[in-house]
Amino acid sequence: PFFASNTTLVAYFFGKEIWDSGAGLVAAILIAVCPGYISRSVAGSYDNEGVAIFALLFTFYVFVKAVNTGSLAWSLASAFGYFYMVFYFLDWVKHMLSDTKLFQAFLRITVTSAVAVGGIALGLGMVSGYISPWTGRFYSLLDPTYAKDHIPIIASVSEHQPTAWSSFMFDFHILLFLFPAGLYFCFKRLSDATIFIVMYGLTSMYFAGVMVRLILVATPAVCLISAIAVSATVKNLTVLLRSKNKVVQTGSTKGSGGSKSSSKALLDQSQPFQKNGAIALLFGAFYLLSRYATHCTWVTSEAYSSPSIVLAARGAHGNRVIFDDYREAYFWLRQNTPQDAKVMSWWDYGYQITAMGNRTVIVDNNTWNNTHIATVGRAMSSYEDEAIEIIRSLDVDYVLVVFGGVTGYSSDDINKFLWMVRIGGGVFPVIKEPDYLVNGEYRVDKGAAPKMLNCLMYKLCYYRFGEMMTEYGKPPGYDRARGVEIGNKDVKLEHLEEAFTTSNWIVRIYRVKPPNNRW
Amino acid sequence: MTVFSLVLLTYFMVVSGFVYDVIVEPPGIGSTQDPATGAVRPVVFLPGRVNGQYIIEGLSSGFMFVLGGIGIVLLDLALDKNRARSVKVSYAIAGISSVVIAYVMTTLFIRIKIPGYLREKREAFVRDDDLQLGYF
Repeated sequence: PFFASNTTLVAYFFGKEIWDSGAGLVAAILIAVCPGYISRSVAGSYDNEGVAIFALLFTFYVFVKAVNTGSLAWSLASAFGYFYMVFYFLDWVKHMLSDTKLFQAFLRITVTSAVAVGGIALGLGMVSGYISPWTGRFYSLLDPTYAKDHIPIIASVSEHQPTAWSSFMFDFHILLFLFPAGLYFCFKRLSDATIFIVMYGLTSMYFAGVMVRLILVATPAVCLISAIAVSATVKNLTVLLRSKNKVVQTGSTKGSGGSKSSSKALLDQSQPFQKNGAIALLFGAFYLLSRYATHCTWVTSEAYSSPSIVLAARGAHGNRVIFDDYREAYFWLRQNTPQDAKVMSWWDYGYQITAMGNRTVIVDNNTWNNTHIATVGRAMSSYEDEAIEIIRSLDVDYVLVVFGGVTGYSSDDINKFLWMVRIGGGVFPVIKEPDYLVNGEYRVDKGAAPKMLNCLMYKLCYYRFGEMMTEYGKPPGYDRARGVEIGNKDVKLEHLEEAFTTSNWIVRIYRVKPPNNRW
Repeated sequence: MTVFSLVLLTYFMVVSGFVYDVIVEPPGIGSTQDPATGAVRPVVFLPGRVNGQYIIEGLSSGFMFVLGGIGIVLLDLALDKNRARSVKVSYAIAGISSVVIAYVMTTLFIRIKIPGYLREKREAFVRDDDLQLGYF
């Protein structure tokens, strides 16, 4: 949040630079509450991106200032701002090239306009995490179909999906109206600064359309351009109010700094309701802005502030029910397994297991080794006999799965299973996705594919589930997340044994049995 | 002027989720079966998650956004001194109505799509879809 407040300040100065101080104020207010930015800067989520956006905005502001004033001091400051941004960006970089920095510094100082585009691209690289432009995630920005066809692990991350209109609405609300209006005003008053912000805005909006996560990068541009629209509109309206009678502006606290009443000629038409109309419109504008603020606070409190490790839901009588299964399982791991135990799970839980369970994991959220993750995916999708060989070769002691069939929790491993198949199949062609589908449909009930009914993931999730009564009036073994009765209720495990299942069956941990003694 | 209309067109395409449509290839409109009669009813809004859409709902929402933007532009044109008064008044009315319609429709759409919008309800999957590095 500290850096977020600094971002607000920088937004003010940037707005002032591009348009006027009124726009700067509005920009600061808009970006202060915009969900697109808050999603990365809430208290408790210190992340590179919170600082990176501040650095990006600061660099762009200093750059525009340099262009406007033409002074060397500001150019140097922009170079420093750029380095600051690059520094935080390099924190993300896995394989650094040491001479890239010098080369880019040279570019920066000599070819300023080319660097503006490079700054935008690097800003994107900051949130995507790679410096080399030909890495998968970057390439998928230019060719969005690339990841879907070639790299399933990139395609599977929900934040890398292309953006639907509702995500835009969720994160931007009325800014979506103000953005094209702001573009119009920028086109009306063309200057270097406005051209720059238009370019930044359009490019970042295109990339935000390709990948949901990049809405974050588009947010400062959208806020600034919307601020221009608000400021210009409110200024037009307040000018109407400042008639020859010197009527005090009613309720206008934004956008009135520096407006000169040079348009007295406008009121020669002296319509009596012109002033009332302007007042009404001003109230309308305030109403819209207040709705925006309400929306933002709601979004922040509902979607971006709740912990995701403790799940909550409404019970049958409207009371709140808490599921604390994740922490229960991680603390069980911490207290009941040997210190050097290795846990195999899907990569989503890697960091959590490492931090809270204090055990080594095979794959975690740092998904840089695709083959390794594919190996785990292959193990999960194979029959138990084949899987146990992979598991023993990885020297795994415990296997952890997440199962939502008892609670109806839909982000469990069975719903993610097809991604494990795709990622595993991407590296090991022996795993074929159609084997797990029936007529292209993914099923777990009696009509499911035989490979699906006997693979390791199915067995681990549904072990002993066949006797479980989950819902009144439904047969035992009714999976509440899929809404069907499972197909294979008689699950027998040969090489693994159940070690722990949490109270709501959300997390299930299995121990790998040592190999049988040979004669 | 032409540049601005091209820009608006691009904006319309981006914001209606055109890239999403090309990659995910959702159906133009969804359908559900009425449990009582067995008839197939069309479903306009993809229910349940924030980052998903059908093609038509994307296009109509994008159109609403652009309409709102044009409304504000019309308001600004209405305050321009160099036009006839009747033109200014009609611009003003068109502008105001565009903004109002766009805002109302957009709020209506989002209310249909996210049933818990602006309400205290807390569902486990809302957070997961938006931010968890996970899946649909």
